[in-house]
Amino acid sequence: MIRIIALIGFLFFSGGTVTAAKTTTSTESAALFNALERTAGSVKTLSSDFVQEKHLAIFKTVMNSKGRFYFSKPDLLRWELTAPVASGFVLRGDKGRRWHERTGRSESFQISQEPIMKLVSEQLFAWGKADFAWLKKEYRITVLGESPVALRLEPRSAATAGFLNHLLITFSTDGRYVRSVELHEKDGDFTRIKFVNTVVNKPLQADLF
Amino acid sequence: MVPAFTLFEKLYNFFSVRRTVLFSVTVLIVVLSFLASSRLHIQEDIVAMLPDDSSSVAQDFRLLQLAPFTRKLVITLKGGNPNDSAALIVVTDRLAEGLRAAGIANVMTGPANISGGFFSWLGASLPNLTTEKDLERLAAGSSPDEVRSRLRNSYEQLLSPEGWALKGNVQTDPLSFSSLALEKMRFLNMVPNMRLVQNHFVAADGTSALLVVDSAVSMTDSGGSRDLLERISTAITASVPAGMTATVVSGHRYTLVNADTIKRDLYVVLTLSVVAVFAIYLVFLRSLSAVFVFLVPTSILVIATGVIALYDVNVFAVTLGFGGVLLGMVDEYAMLIYFSCRQGGKDPAVITAEVSRPVIFGAAATLISFGIMLLSSLPGQRQLAVYSMVGIVAALLISLIVLPHLIKPLPEVKLSLKGLGGAWRLPRRVVIGVWLAVLALCSWQSTNIRFNGELGAVSMVTPELRLAEEDLIKTWGNMRGKALLFAEGTDLESALALNDKLFALISGRIPAGDLVSLAPLMPSNALQHANRARWLSFWQNGRAAQLEKDLTKSGETYGFSTEAFAPFLATLTTSPPAATVESLREAGMGELVDSLIIRSPDMVRVLTMVPDTPQVVAALSDDLKSLPGVRLVSQSRFGDNVGRAIIHDFTRYLTLTSALVLALLIVVFRSPSRVMLALVPVVTGLLCMLGIMGLCGIEFNIFNIAATILIIGLCVDYGIFMVCRLTEGSDSTTNRAVLVSGLTTLAGLGALALARHPSMHSIGITVLLGIGTGIPAALLVIPALCGKDME
Repeated sequence: MIRIIALIGFLFFSGGTVTAAKTTTSTESAALFNALERTAGSVKTLSSDFVQEKHLAIFKTVMNSKGRFYFSKPDLLRWELTAPVASGFVLRGDKGRRWHERTGRSESFQISQEPIMKLVSEQLFAWGKADFAWLKKEYRITVLGESPVALRLEPRSAATAGFLNHLLITFSTDGRYVRSVELHEKDGDFTRIKFVNTVVNKPLQADLF
Repeated sequence: MVPAFTLFEKLYNFFSVRRTVLFSVTVLIVVLSFLASSRLHIQEDIVAMLPDDSSSVAQDFRLLQLAPFTRKLVITLKGGNPNDSAALIVVTDRLAEGLRAAGIANVMTGPANISGGFFSWLGASLPNLTTEKDLERLAAGSSPDEVRSRLRNSYEQLLSPEGWALKGNVQTDPLSFSSLALEKMRFLNMVPNMRLVQNHFVAADGTSALLVVDSAVSMTDSGGSRDLLERISTAITASVPAGMTATVVSGHRYTLVNADTIKRDLYVVLTLSVVAVFAIYLVFLRSLSAVFVFLVPTSILVIATGVIALYDVNVFAVTLGFGGVLLGMVDEYAMLIYFSCRQGGKDPAVITAEVSRPVIFGAAATLISFGIMLLSSLPGQRQLAVYSMVGIVAALLISLIVLPHLIKPLPEVKLSLKGLGGAWRLPRRVVIGVWLAVLALCSWQSTNIRFNGELGAVSMVTPELRLAEEDLIKTWGNMRGKALLFAEGTDLESALALNDKLFALISGRIPAGDLVSLAPLMPSNALQHANRARWLSFWQNGRAAQLEKDLTKSGETYGFSTEAFAPFLATLTTSPPAATVESLREAGMGELVDSLIIRSPDMVRVLTMVPDTPQVVAALSDDLKSLPGVRLVSQSRFGDNVGRAIIHDFTRYLTLTSALVLALLIVVFRSPSRVMLALVPVVTGLLCMLGIMGLCGIEFNIFNIAATILIIGLCVDYGIFMVCRLTEGSDSTTNRAVLVSGLTTLAGLGALALARHPSMHSIGITVLLGIGTGIPAALLVIPALCGKDME
């Protein structure tokens, strides 16, 4: 999930005017990535609804949930689940706050002290800068399709590969935003997140973060 | 008729025609000694004054060196923003890299990465670690309500981004049983005020980071310590930005400060002694022959140092520091010879024979007091004894065999002490009255004297070092000041079993944060076996089946499949393999294992640490009587133990020395009154030393208490000389010899008292007080008590 969020952040930024290539030669891939990197600079904010499906063997059926996602450069993020349970977190640089409506609990935290959150924020903020060098260092990227753009990302590090098999990213037909992310685990479980009602560069209220 | 030792008369006559040979051999011995002394290595550490036998104090000292932070350097990086640990961590990593680049390989900024492997190990080991009390908590934690609540939480967590990492945990431990095992980690916090931030040691207030450096440089190696600290200092300068500071605390810093101070002291003490003794000779001897008298003690220094170098190349600094005192001490024999020979009037051979009697008896008394020190369990005292005895014997031989050939008698008696003569003609009653009053006052004040057994009392601690130590404790808690409990066994299993018993005994009384013990995480095989059996038994009789039903029922509510918790349910009825030290090490806890399990060829020790407070230590001392094999070593109590051992030794040696000196005096004088007279300087010196120390608040410590025995040896010399002179018709040259040699002894002690290092300074001051009062007692009180005028 961490990587999904991180990847979403990057891909939203890199939607823009990318034209997917038909072949997957390294030269063309590089051109594609460069284009993604260039267009990311123009994106300042993102907001989107999402629908999450968790296909996990420990559940009899698919776990469905939905929520909202907000991002503002350089380091503000809100991930909010609205159903079936209202909960979420906000990141502001190195600090964060999480809440849970049913328990009524709300707590602040420092990202540096929470390894999972640290991983989330590190990737998000790095990808927010469209740091393709870093992305390629972390994943082997294959271009699966050009229209819409579809990518397959396989982790390079053995630690990540221990639980993550690959990611599938599909862009909207106009290439402006990510339509879905699929996270495939080693054991066959996977999570799919579909983004809808995505808005780019709309001013976001400060109190969201 | 003065009894004479005719051997020295014969020797004089023998060498009077072979002087070239005599002088050549003497010079050769001095030159060879000088060459031998060039191989010396000065040892400045406290080891000199710690017992090296098999006593409990010696063992305690060795065990104290096994404490986790004793052998390491700790660097506190300060100046971080409490709200932003990231910058602090960046500088910490930069400094760690800088240190590694400087050749300091073993630098730790945080624990080993324990995220995955360790938690898996902890979960898998739960049945091995669960106590009866833990099972009671598990019973409550597996009630239907608790199951429902836990599964709901798990369900909600799985929906969140953070839930990504929890799927495995939900399957293997849906009821968070492993939190019980995690709680056991509370007993492994060695740094009280520390928390982990990005796997770095950061202080609770977020402004400081800790780096722990493990160096191969021995704590007692001053040269290595200097190089190590210089490299660290260079790395700090290059890595730490303005606004931040890095402070190093380690035994190496103490070693270096002490080594530098001692080197400076040796230079000052020896130079001052030589200059002062030479100046005294110039003033009182006023003759070219005096140069030869001066050469006797200086040659003795070279000879004693050379012989000690042959005996052991590692010479304690305090031994060489005592050289200044030896210089002033051994010249009394030469002085007697000088004054007697200069007085003339007889054949030099006869004079030598006459003087040899008090000189030999005086030397015998001094040798006795130093000889007793050979029995000491303190290596520094034994070495000092050898050094001094060699010097005394050499001084005796050179004074009686060589020196008489170098001194020309004056044609007529011209020796004069000028202004000093008046003082010697003080009325008897006044002298005795003042003496008795001083003795009474000193006896009274001597009750105020205190003994400080702390090693710190004889170690050089600069204000800067003290501040650094205080700041370390303030920032991190007293991580270096723990009392140590060693559970000892012939093998790991027996040591761990004893450690289990120890933990059971003390864990109820000492809070987890204050108690560091491996027992909760690594019980013995026997206890693990018992825990596993209890675990399996607990889940029998339908309890596991009931829990499975509850999980299935509540799981259905949230959509969990029937097989979701199969891995967890399997652990309830399957016996896992025993947890081993090797598996714990593989799980990333190697550093911890190495700190708390100490192996030696014939023994395994498991270390437990508790607060080193008098209350805790006293309570544990009683409790541990029921646990043979567990050894308590407390740094605070160690000082007391050292003190007790040294006082015990001191009392024993003092008694022995007194008895032997008394026996010598009885043999020499064969008259109670003469014996009593000869003891006047000793009694006066000892009482005055104790009284003045009590009056001025000067404490005894492990160094100066032993040195007080020397007062007996030195003062009794003056007593012997004076009683010989007064009762056997000797002339006033003895007075001059006692006075001048006394002054040179005081010069040596005075130079030692000027030393900055507490050990040398304390010896200098203490013996100075004893000798400084013993000499006037010899010169004034003995004649007054004898009823004879001195001139």
